[in-house]
Amino acid sequence: MLKLQNISKQFDGKSVLDHINLEIKTGEIVSLLGPSGSGKTTLLHIILGLTGINHGKIIFNDTDLSNVPMKDRGFNIVFQDYALFPHLNAYENIVYGLRNRKGSVSKEELQEYIDFLELTPHLKKRISELSGGQKQRVSIARTLVMKPKILLLDEPLSALDGVIKESIKERIKSIAREFKLTTIIVTHDPEEALTMSDKILIINQGNISQFGSPQEIINQPANDFVKEFILKQLEIKRENIYNLFGEKYA
Amino acid sequence: MPDVKPAMRVIYIPILLLFAAFLFLPLGMLFVRSFETADGINLSNYLTVLSNAELMKSFENSVKISGLTAVITTVLAFFLAYSIHCTRLYRPLKSVIKTGILIPMLLPTITFGFAIIYSFGNQGIITKIFGRNLFDIYGFNGLLIGYVIYTLPSAFLLINNSFKYMDKKFIIVSKLMGDGTIRSFLNTIIRPLSGTLGGAFVLSFILSFTDFGIPASVGGTYSVVATQLYQVMLGSIPDFNNGAVIAILMLIPVVFSVFLLNYLEKLNFHYDKFSDIELTQHKGRDICFGSISLLVLIGMFSVFAVMFIAPFLTSFPYDLSFTLKHFIDTFQSSDLTAVYKNSLFVALMTAVLGTFIAFSSAVLNVRTPLKGKSSMDVISMLTNTVPGMVLGLSYLLLFNGSSWKGTFAIIILCNMVHFFTTPYLMAKNSLSKMNPAWEITGILLGDSWIRTIYRVILPNSASTVIEMFSYYFINSMVTISGIIFLVTAQTTLVASKIKELQHFAKFNEIFILSLLIFFTNLIVKLLCDHYQKRQFKH
Repeated sequence: MLKLQNISKQFDGKSVLDHINLEIKTGEIVSLLGPSGSGKTTLLHIILGLTGINHGKIIFNDTDLSNVPMKDRGFNIVFQDYALFPHLNAYENIVYGLRNRKGSVSKEELQEYIDFLELTPHLKKRISELSGGQKQRVSIARTLVMKPKILLLDEPLSALDGVIKESIKERIKSIAREFKLTTIIVTHDPEEALTMSDKILIINQGNISQFGSPQEIINQPANDFVKEFILKQLEIKRENIYNLFGEKYA
Repeated sequence: MPDVKPAMRVIYIPILLLFAAFLFLPLGMLFVRSFETADGINLSNYLTVLSNAELMKSFENSVKISGLTAVITTVLAFFLAYSIHCTRLYRPLKSVIKTGILIPMLLPTITFGFAIIYSFGNQGIITKIFGRNLFDIYGFNGLLIGYVIYTLPSAFLLINNSFKYMDKKFIIVSKLMGDGTIRSFLNTIIRPLSGTLGGAFVLSFILSFTDFGIPASVGGTYSVVATQLYQVMLGSIPDFNNGAVIAILMLIPVVFSVFLLNYLEKLNFHYDKFSDIELTQHKGRDICFGSISLLVLIGMFSVFAVMFIAPFLTSFPYDLSFTLKHFIDTFQSSDLTAVYKNSLFVALMTAVLGTFIAFSSAVLNVRTPLKGKSSMDVISMLTNTVPGMVLGLSYLLLFNGSSWKGTFAIIILCNMVHFFTTPYLMAKNSLSKMNPAWEITGILLGDSWIRTIYRVILPNSASTVIEMFSYYFINSMVTISGIIFLVTAQTTLVASKIKELQHFAKFNEIFILSLLIFFTNLIVKLLCDHYQKRQFKH
C-alpha cells in the first residue's frame, strides 16, 4: 500500500502540487490523468524519488519514504523515450542492472521475463534496429528484472502507433496481474487511462479533481473539469466511432 | 538530472584548481609583470614599448598582413566549400579537395616557411621551373603565402560545416521565384553564410596574428609582433617586463576578435531541418569552380612538394642524385631521435590528460546540476582567446624560478590549456545530445553516478573522445608558438628543434623531422578516423 499524505510541491515559489492525498493498494493499476502542466509528471517523479517534496509524507507499507533517496526506495520507471543505452544490444540492456543485484534474479526467472515480453527473437539486436513497441518491451524488461516494488510508466503509449497501442495496454495489465505489481501510469489521454487502469487520479492545476474507478468517473463525474475535459473527449470519440460503424453497434 | 553527488565535486574542484594554477595565475602574473619596474609598479614599461618605433611598426605590419591574409583565405575557403556543396563536380574530386586541403594541419607552421624558401627561393624548385625568381619571398610575400596556407584549412572547415547545415532547398525556391543569378546567390548563399564568412575572416586573422613559426622561418626583415616578442624575451638582452607588455598588447586585438566572433555567431541562420536536394545542371559553373579549387590545391601541394623530394637528393639543388643517406644519418643521430621521442611523449600525454580534463569538464557542465558549472564555459572562452605564445610566456614568468622550469610537465600542461576549447566544445556538443534520463536510469539500475558515466556515457561518447584525442595529439605535435618559451635542451621538441637547425642551415634534417611529424600525425589521424567509423556503426 502506497500512501501520499498532504503532498505539496513548489518550483521557484510557484505551486505545482497542492495537498495531494492518495492511497494506492498493492497490485493496483493507477493512472495519473491530466492536461500538460497539471503536475502529473511531477507527482510521478515525487513517488520515484527524483523530485523532492516541500510538504507531506510518502508512506509505503508503513515505512516513511519521504526522505529516502531514489535508489533506496526500490521503485522503478520506464521513461517515455525508454532511455535505452544505444551502445548495448537488447539483451545487454535487459541485464544491465543485474551485476549490481547479484543473485536476485535466477537464470530461469530472467528467461521468464524475456519469454513473457516475447523478446527472445530480438535479444541480439541493436537498439536502433528495434521497433517502438520492441524498445518499450526491452525497457520494461530492464526495469522488471530489478524487481521494483512499484512500476512507474511515463506516457507509455504516446510514442507508439495505433495498432500496437492496444496490445501494449493488454501487456501492461497482464504484467500487473502476473507479478502483482503496483503500477502507476502517467497519461494525458482519457481513453487510455479509463481502459487500462483500476483507478484513475484526475489532476488539474496541481489539485486532485477526482480519484475513482473508471465506472465512478463515467457515472459520477465530480466536477465540471471532469465533465468538460475528460468525459467530453470520450463522448466525441464515441460519436465518431458510432458515425463510422452506424448506430447498430451502439 | 541526478542530484549533486560528492563524486561530481571530487572531479569539479581539482579541475577548477588546475585552471586556477595554470591559466588564471600565470595570466595574472603576466599582467602584474607588465607594470613592474625597478621603481615599483607604474606605466613606464608600456611607455617604453609604445614609444619604440620598431615595435609599433611590427604591430602595424602584423595587423596589415593578417588582415590581407584573412581576406584571401576567406575568399579561397569559400570557393572550395562552394565547389563541394553547390556544384556537381565529380564526387571523388570533391573528396580529394575536402581531404587535401586539410594536409597543412598535420605540419608545424615553421615547416611551411622552409618549404616556401625551398620552392620560391633563389635555388627553389619553382624558381628553377620558371627560370627566374617570381618574387622576393623573404618578408611580406613569403609570410602571406605561409599564413594563407596555414589558415586555409581552419577557415575551410568552418565554412564547409555551415554549408552542410544550410538548407539548399532555398536555392531552388529562389530560382522558382524568378531570381536572377546574382540575387539568388546573395540571398541563398551569402546572406545565410555571412556570419560564418565573418567568422572565417576573424579566425584567419587571429591565427596569422599570433603565429610564430612562419615569421620565424620566412619573416626576413619584415618584423611582426610574434618575432618581436621572441626577440625581447630570448634575444641577446632579455627583458621580461617589456615582453609582458608586448604579450598584453598582443592580447588586445585577439580579445576584440573573440567578441566579434561571438557577435557574428548571432548572424548565423539556424535551420531546424535541412534536406539534401538535387542541384541544377550547370557545366560552366562546375568547370569554373572545379578548376579554381584544383588550382588552389595544386598551388598548396607544389609548395610542400619540395619537402618530400629534397631529403632524398644528395645535395639539393646541386647534386640531384637519389640517396637515403640523409635519412640514415638522421635516424642514427641519437640527438634527433631523442627529440622525436620527446615530441611523441608530450603529444601522447597531452592527448590522454587533455581529453580526460576536457571530457570531465563537459560532463560536469552538461550533465550535472552543480552550482557554478558554467565556469567551464568561461574557462573555455578564455583558453580560446589567449594565444599560445602569450600563454607560454606567462608560464615562463610564473615558473621560471621554480622546480617546474624545464620539465615536460609544464609543456604538457601548457598544451592542455592552450588547446582546451575545441575538444571541450566537441564533448559538450555530443553530451548535450544524449538522452537526459540515462544517469537516472543507471542509478535506478543500481549503479553509482560515476559508474553510469563509465558504463553508459563514456561508451556512447567513444567517437567524440577519439576525435578529441586526435585533435590534442596533432596540435601538440605541430605547435611551436605555445612551447617555444618553455623548452630547454633536455625537453626540446621536434618543432623547436627545427627552429634550432635553421641556424645551422640543416635543411635536410628540417625536412626529415617535418616528414616524421607529418607521417606520425597522418597515422594517428587515420587510426582515429578508422576507430571513429567503427563506433558509428553501432
